[in-house]
Amino acid sequence: MRLVPIPTSEYDEYRLKLMFDCYKWDPQFLDNNTVAKYALVITQEEHKQLARLTVALDKETREAEQFLNSNQHLAVPLKLTKQLLCDIKKMSNYDQEKHIRLTRYDFHPVSDLEGGWAISEVNSDVPGGFAEASLMPLAAIESIYKAQEKSSIMEKESYHIVSFGDVMIESVKKKVKAGGRIMMVHCTCYSDDRQVMQYLGDRLEAEGYEIIYGAVEHVNFKDNKAYSAMDGNEGQLDAVFRFTPLEWFKDIKPKRWRGYFDTETVSCNHPISIYAQTKRFPLVWDVLEDHGISMSTWRSLLPETVDVKRIVGRENYIYKPAYGRVGDGISIREALDIKEYEKIMKDVSRHPSRYVAQKKFTSIPLKGENGEEYHVCLGSYAIDGLHGGYYARISSTPRIDSNAADIPVLIEGGDSYDS
Amino acid sequence: MTAKEVYKIWAPVGKRWVDWVRPVPFVTIGHYSKSYGVILQPPASIQFLEKQEENQLKTILGINGWEKSYLERTAVIVDMCGGESVSYGVALTDYGFRPIPVFNGTIEQQGARATVDNQSVGMALELMAKELLEKEIADDARPAFLLDRNRLNRYKLDDSVYDNSWDVYPQDLPSPKFFLENSIENILVIGGKKISKDIKKILVDHQKKGLKIFHTDGYEMPRQQLVWKLPSWD
Repeated sequence: MRLVPIPTSEYDEYRLKLMFDCYKWDPQFLDNNTVAKYALVITQEEHKQLARLTVALDKETREAEQFLNSNQHLAVPLKLTKQLLCDIKKMSNYDQEKHIRLTRYDFHPVSDLEGGWAISEVNSDVPGGFAEASLMPLAAIESIYKAQEKSSIMEKESYHIVSFGDVMIESVKKKVKAGGRIMMVHCTCYSDDRQVMQYLGDRLEAEGYEIIYGAVEHVNFKDNKAYSAMDGNEGQLDAVFRFTPLEWFKDIKPKRWRGYFDTETVSCNHPISIYAQTKRFPLVWDVLEDHGISMSTWRSLLPETVDVKRIVGRENYIYKPAYGRVGDGISIREALDIKEYEKIMKDVSRHPSRYVAQKKFTSIPLKGENGEEYHVCLGSYAIDGLHGGYYARISSTPRIDSNAADIPVLIEGGDSYDS
Repeated sequence: MTAKEVYKIWAPVGKRWVDWVRPVPFVTIGHYSKSYGVILQPPASIQFLEKQEENQLKTILGINGWEKSYLERTAVIVDMCGGESVSYGVALTDYGFRPIPVFNGTIEQQGARATVDNQSVGMALELMAKELLEKEIADDARPAFLLDRNRLNRYKLDDSVYDNSWDVYPQDLPSPKFFLENSIENILVIGGKKISKDIKKILVDHQKKGLKIFHTDGYEMPRQQLVWKLPSWD
């Protein structure tokens, strides 16, 4: 795995192309450019290994969540909110064959785990980065090839990608009738959410589906079927793509949100995702294994993760919020200013059940062309049990959060832009 | 002009502050779901820089009263309604500012009523691009961040309405450190009787880090504001 620079002569045009042709509407975050000046290139072997691990992790996750759903009394250590505990009771009719299950596993290159990879978490409920995992690498390849053509000294290399969009479209085609109506459910006030939905919506529209962009309250449910309640777009839906996190529902308070939990309309994701979304998911693995559910891939890749109360006085652990997102709220001391760190630690001591403790791992940074170091978080998607491409971010600090830059993932070799 | 060409006029490559220009209203140029009448006629906001208003602008910026040196160390946040904010931004180029549109609202689903008209903002940016192109903006121009005050309209008649209201967040603007490192010591908010809550929430930190905050409704002389307290809305 290595960093390959986007040629300086092409970078400005590349960034512009991302904004206008690749749904990258958030290229700046505070003072940081969120479009990396590099591509992340992995070898064929690394790709095969990551794809295999992703599929194995996903199999375990789906078996675990189905078991927990049938045995909800065993899910107590997850400390789901009271509201969710009430709502998940409605999921007894869940049938994974009817829905599309999408997950993203965050890999990090490490020195202290066998195999050289650790995962920090699974984005189980509403993983994003769809366009970055589909169009961004193609734009990067185009920029690199252009520079290669112009240059007489640049080494000619070829790359290929696994396109998230291509894999997802195939999955949708299998489960949603041709020409069906699909609601892209997201927080309509956030353009960052819309860009994710818009990419997929445009892809699906090109396949002949009718797309409606709406919020959680725009879906109505009757007899376990979803209906659009969107102004001027009313009627039955054939699928619901949700990008609003489940745990936000309690704040949004849509009138009919419980329908999401027992709907038979194709859902991606169905709320079944909540079991693995909480960072406390590892706290039920012992129970799962007692019942014959293997979590061996997870165990080999996830650093030791325990209840906060169990590590009092032990060093080399970080605290992660149970419902944390994009790396926020994680107590990596060297990546935070003292005020932010102390704020997190105060919250951990006040609300230990809202956190887990995870053994720190040593991320191996990659070197840029001038010797600068970048830490990598390489997200690998699974869509209905198949590998669905990559979404990666790099950061100069070990904590990969909102300040990190998006970086396209290319696979060495191949002579095609497509997967 | 294509959407990309319009964007390049507002965010010319390599210029100071343009990294904060949000692409959102530009990418939707040509993809509008309905025609909002206001901006399609030759509106007053397009013919903004008439003599009377020019004088008014001078008053607001204190050319005739407020210390000029203040202005040289000042970033502006224009918090006016849609197209008016865009016009104001272009007018500010004559006073050493570069307009930086940070509009971030999406357009609604086809056929639906929406809480905010974000489409006319894109239209205004498109219409004013030619005027902006004719302006000479110095390399060391200070930033004038443009916002749409209508962004906060989130009242919904019923659930079926598309809520495309939006807030401006700390990540949408430079950090206090960046401002100070670039010789900006004051932030002047123009528009409204009071500074909007979302802007206030951002500026609390800026004030704590040493920047002075000023506000004018667009008519009165700017006054220094203290925004120590976070608003209670969240």
